Amino acid sequence: MFNVLNIVLLLVFVLIFPGALFTSAVGLWLAGVDRKVLARMQHRIGPPIRQPLYDFLKLMGKETIIPHAANKTVYLGAPIVGFVSLAMIMLFIPVGGFVAVSGSADLVVILYLITIPGVALIVGGSSSGSPYAGIGISREMVTMMAYELPFVLVLLAVARKVGGANLVFSMESIAAWQAANGSLLFHWSMIPAAIAMLLVIPAEVGTQPFDVAEAETEICEGPLVEYSGAPLGLFKLNTAMKMFVMTGLFTALFMGGLRTGIVVLDVVIFVVICTVLTILSMTTIHAVTARLKIEHLFKFYWTFVAGMALLSLVLVWFGL
Amino acid sequence: MIQHFPVMAVMLLFLGAFLVAIFGRISPVIRDGIAILIATISLVLIYALIKPVMIDGQIISYWMGNWEPVEGYAIGIGYEVDALGLFFALLVVTTFWLSGIYSLGYLKKDANKMHYYTLYLMLSASVLGLVLTGDLFNMFIMIEIMTFASVALTAFRNKQAIALEAAFKYLVLGSIGSSMTLAGVALMYRVCHTLNMAQISSIIGGEFNLTTIMAFGLIVAGLGVKSYIVPFHTPAADAYTAAPTSISMIFSGMVNKAGVYGIIRMVYVVFRAMDRSSIQILLVVFGAVTMFIGVTMALAQHDFKRLLAFHSISQIGYVITAIGLGTALGLNAGLFHAMNHTLFKGLLFLTAGAVLTATGTTNLDKLGGLSKRMPVTTVCFLVGAFSISGLPPFNGFASKWMVYQAIYTKAVESGNILFAIATITALIVSVMTLASFIKVTQAVFFGQENPENANAKEVPVIMQIPMVIMAVLCVLTGLFYNVVEKFLLAPAAGAALGVSNYIDKMMGAGYAKAAGITDIEAAPAAFSFWNPLVWLLLFVVVFLGVYIVMATSKSTRGRMLEGGEGYDPKYATFFSGEQEEFSQVGGSDLFWGFKTDWKGYYKVLQGLHSGIVTDYASYIVMGAAIIILVMFICLR
Amino acid sequence: MFKKLVDNSALKSPWIYHINTGSCNGCDIELVAVLTPRYDAERFGFRLAGTPRHADIVVVSGPITSQSKERLIRTLAQVPEPKCVVSLGSCPRSGNVFKGSYSVEGPLEKYVHVDVSVAGCTPKPEAIMEGLYKAAQILKEKREAMKK
Repeated sequence: MFNVLNIVLLLVFVLIFPGALFTSAVGLWLAGVDRKVLARMQHRIGPPIRQPLYDFLKLMGKETIIPHAANKTVYLGAPIVGFVSLAMIMLFIPVGGFVAVSGSADLVVILYLITIPGVALIVGGSSSGSPYAGIGISREMVTMMAYELPFVLVLLAVARKVGGANLVFSMESIAAWQAANGSLLFHWSMIPAAIAMLLVIPAEVGTQPFDVAEAETEICEGPLVEYSGAPLGLFKLNTAMKMFVMTGLFTALFMGGLRTGIVVLDVVIFVVICTVLTILSMTTIHAVTARLKIEHLFKFYWTFVAGMALLSLVLVWFGL
Repeated sequence: MIQHFPVMAVMLLFLGAFLVAIFGRISPVIRDGIAILIATISLVLIYALIKPVMIDGQIISYWMGNWEPVEGYAIGIGYEVDALGLFFALLVVTTFWLSGIYSLGYLKKDANKMHYYTLYLMLSASVLGLVLTGDLFNMFIMIEIMTFASVALTAFRNKQAIALEAAFKYLVLGSIGSSMTLAGVALMYRVCHTLNMAQISSIIGGEFNLTTIMAFGLIVAGLGVKSYIVPFHTPAADAYTAAPTSISMIFSGMVNKAGVYGIIRMVYVVFRAMDRSSIQILLVVFGAVTMFIGVTMALAQHDFKRLLAFHSISQIGYVITAIGLGTALGLNAGLFHAMNHTLFKGLLFLTAGAVLTATGTTNLDKLGGLSKRMPVTTVCFLVGAFSISGLPPFNGFASKWMVYQAIYTKAVESGNILFAIATITALIVSVMTLASFIKVTQAVFFGQENPENANAKEVPVIMQIPMVIMAVLCVLTGLFYNVVEKFLLAPAAGAALGVSNYIDKMMGAGYAKAAGITDIEAAPAAFSFWNPLVWLLLFVVVFLGVYIVMATSKSTRGRMLEGGEGYDPKYATFFSGEQEEFSQVGGSDLFWGFKTDWKGYYKVLQGLHSGIVTDYASYIVMGAAIIILVMFICLR
Repeated sequence: MFKKLVDNSALKSPWIYHINTGSCNGCDIELVAVLTPRYDAERFGFRLAGTPRHADIVVVSGPITSQSKERLIRTLAQVPEPKCVVSLGSCPRSGNVFKGSYSVEGPLEKYVHVDVSVAGCTPKPEAIMEGLYKAAQILKEKREAMKK
C-alpha cells in the first residue's frame, strides 16, 4: 500500500478523476441543471446552466473579510476540510464501473466521511462568532440528526439484503451482488428504502424545503453569514459537490448493476442518472414546497422517512 | 524479578499514600514530589510488563506471603496478571499519571492538598489492585477502597453544596453496589470454598446452580454500579461534576473502567457465561439502553462537566454492548473502545478543567468565544470531541467502526433483530454525541465572546502537557489502530477467551484440563477496513495543495483582509440590531427544535432523574433485580 | 486567462443585498417584482443574498432615517470589494416627500459613493432591471481595476 506509485495514483484519483476536479465539475453541472429546471418549472427562463460556475469564479475574485470575532485558522480551514473530504468520498463510491480504491472502504466509512463536510460547515460557522451562525449551526446539526436515522436504516437494509456473513458493509460486494442479481431498485422490498434515500438527499445537500439551516430570508444564511470571497465560494462548491456525492451514492446503492462494460460510457450513464435523480429528488420538491420549520423537519424524518426505511429493513430481515 | 512488579506497583502506591500523609506537612515540594515520584515508578513498573505479558504471552502470578495452594485449594491472596488485566492496568497507570501531572497546576488555589494527594494515591492503588488481583475477595476490598476514596475526593471542594450532595449520593449508592458484590462473593465462597478466581472458574466450569446464579447476578449488578450502566448511572453525573476535574478524569478514565474490567472478568473468565445467548442479549440490551439514555441526557445538559459525565455513561454503553456480543471481534471492539474512551474522555475532562481554571465556571450559558484566548485548549478539545463523535481519522472512529461491524455481523449471523436494533442505536447515538459536542464547541470555544471572560488566559504549561499528550495519543491510536490491535487488543481478548491458561498458571499445569475446561475458540478478528495513514497523508497533501493554490493565485483571488485593533464596522459581526451587542447563542437552548419534538421523552427522563437518593437506590435495586431475574429464568 | 474568467464572472453573477432605510415599501415590492417569473432577473444571474458579506450590489431604498443611518453605514462597510451601490427610487436621492423631516438624514450621497441611481416613485421594474444591469457592468470594471 505504501509505495510511491500507489501514492501518485491515489493523488491522481483524489485530484482529478473521481475526486476534486471531476466531482466539482459534475457538481456544478448538477447545481446548474437544478436551477435551470427549477426556473422552467416556475415559468421562468432561468440562469444559464453554467451559472454556478460563474458564481464560484466571481466569489474567488472578491475580498475575503475575516471578522474580528472569528478564529482565523478554523474560519479559513473549515471550507477546505469540507472540500477535500468531499473529493475523497468519491473514491469510495463506484462511479459506473470504475472503482478507484478497491477493498478498503465500506458504507460506514462513507457514512462518517459524509458527515465531515457538514461538521466543517458547522465548525466554520461557529468560529465566525455571529449569533445568526449560532442559530444556523443548531439547525444544521438537528437536520443532521434528523436524516441520519433514515440514512442509517437504508444502509443497514442494503447491507442486510446483500449480506454476506463477513464484509457486510462492503461497497464492492453491493456492486457485485447487483451485477449478479439485478439492481436493488428493482427488488420490491427495497423500494421504500429507495424513496427514503431520495428524501435524505435534499436534507443532506440542504435544498429547500430542508434548507432551514441556511435560511437566507430569516437567519441570513445561517453558518455562512460572515463568510465572503474565496471561502464562501468553496462552501458553495461543497454544496454542489454534495449533490453529486449523494446522488452518486444513491446510484451506487440502488442502481449499481447497470453496466455496459465500457468505462467512459458507464461514467456518462452514471452522470445522467445523477442528473435525473437531482431533478427528481431536489428540484421537484423545491419547486412545490416552502421551507419547513426545524421541528417539523425533524418529525418528518424520524416518522415518515425513517418509517419507510424501517419498512424496507423489516421486509429484508424476513428474507423478502 | 518480573513477577514482583505488579504487586510492587500496587503496594508502592499504598505506601505513597501514607508517606504523603506523614511527610506531606513538611513542605509542598516534598508532598508533590512523593506523589509524582511514586506514580511515575508505578507507571514504569506496569509499562515494563508489556513485553513479557502482551508480546511473549506470559501470565504473571504472585502469591502474597508465598502462601501457595495447599491440597489443591488456594488459600492465600494471589495476584495474577494476564493480558486482559494488564490492558486495563495500562489504562489505569496512564490515567493517574497524567492526572497527577495535571493536578500540579490545577490545584493551585485549593487548600488541603495533602489530603488530596493521599486520597489520589489510595484511589490509584485500589483501582490498579482491582485489575491485577486474582482473588475475588481482594477484588471486593479494592472496590471498597476505591469507593471510599472516590467519595472523599468527590467532596474535596466541600465548600460547594453540590460536592457534599454528590459525595453523599455516591456514598449511599456506591455502598449498595459494594454490598451486592460482597453478598455475591460470600455466596461464591459457600459454594466453592475458595476465593481464587482461577479456581472458582474451574470448579464452576460454566455450569450454574441456584446459588451460583444468585452470586453471579449480585456480582454483575454490583460491578454494574461501579461502571455506571443504566439504571445504576445516577451517582455518576453529580460526582463527575462536583469532583475536581483531575479526579473526574480518573473517574471516567479508570474507576468506571474498573467496573467494566470486573464485568469482563466475571462473565468471560470466572463464570464463563458468554457462550449463552441469554447473557449476550442481557448485556447488549443494557449496553444499548445505557448509550441511548446517556447521550439523550447529555444533549439536555448545560454544564460542561455534567455533559461529559453523561457522555461517559453513554460511551460505557458502547463498551458493554460490544463485550456482550461474546465474539472475538466484539471483545476486541469493546476493549478498543474502552481504551479510546479513557483517552478522549480524559482529554475532554482536562479541557473542561482548563476552562474552569481560566474562567471560573463550566456553565455553558456563561461562556463563549474562548478559542482566541485559549488556542491549545481549543485544539485539544476539538481533537477529543471529534474522537468521541467518531470522525475519521481519530481513534473513536476506528473503535466505533469495529463495534458496528461486530454487532451487525452478529445480527446477520444470529438473525436476531435485537442486535440490529442495537446497531441502529449505536449509529444514532454517534451522531447525537456529535451534536452535543457541537453544542459545547459553539457555547464555549467559538461563538460570541462573553465580556465577562475578557481576561481569560491560557492555562499554565504543566496543565497543557497532559492535554497535548492525550490529544496526540487520540490521533496515534486512530492512525495505527492495527498496531494497537496486534499488541494490545488481540492478546487481551485472547486472554479473556482462553481461560485454561489463566487457571493453569495459578493452580499448576494440567489443572484446567483435569477439571474439563475448554477454551472458547477465538476466531481471528477479521479487521482491516482502510488505511487511515494513507488517507490522512492524502488529505494533508491535498489540503496543503488547495491552500497553496489559494494563497499564490494573487492575481485572480481577492484580497484577504483582517482587522486591526479597535472597532471597525467592516470587521464587526453582522447585526441588524445595536452595535456589537452581546447575544451569544448559548448552550442550554441550542437544540430546541430537537427538544420540542422530544418533549414527552425528556419529561419522563427529567422525572426519573429526580436527584433524590431514595429514588436512585430503588433504581439500583430494581436493576439488580432485573439482572438476577433474567439470569434465573435463562440460566437454570 | 483565469483572471479574465473571474472578471467576466463578476458581470454574470451579481448578488443583490437590499437595505430598506425607511422606505414606504413601494420600491421594495417593485424590486421583488423584478425577481418574479414575469421579469426574472435570475436570467442574468441576479440573486438576493441574505447577508451583506455575500453581496456585490447593495440596493438602498428609502430616505435614510436617523434610526437606520448608523445601521446603513455599518452594513455598507461590511460588503466586500468590488461592490456597487444602487439607490432605488427618489427617496435616497433627494428625500422625496420626506425631505426636511427632523428624522431624515439623506441623501445617500452624503455617506457613500452611489454608482447607479434609479429614479422614480416608484421606478418601473424595467428601469430597475436596467439599473441593476448597469451596476453589474460597473462591477466588472471595478473588478478589472482591482490591483493586488
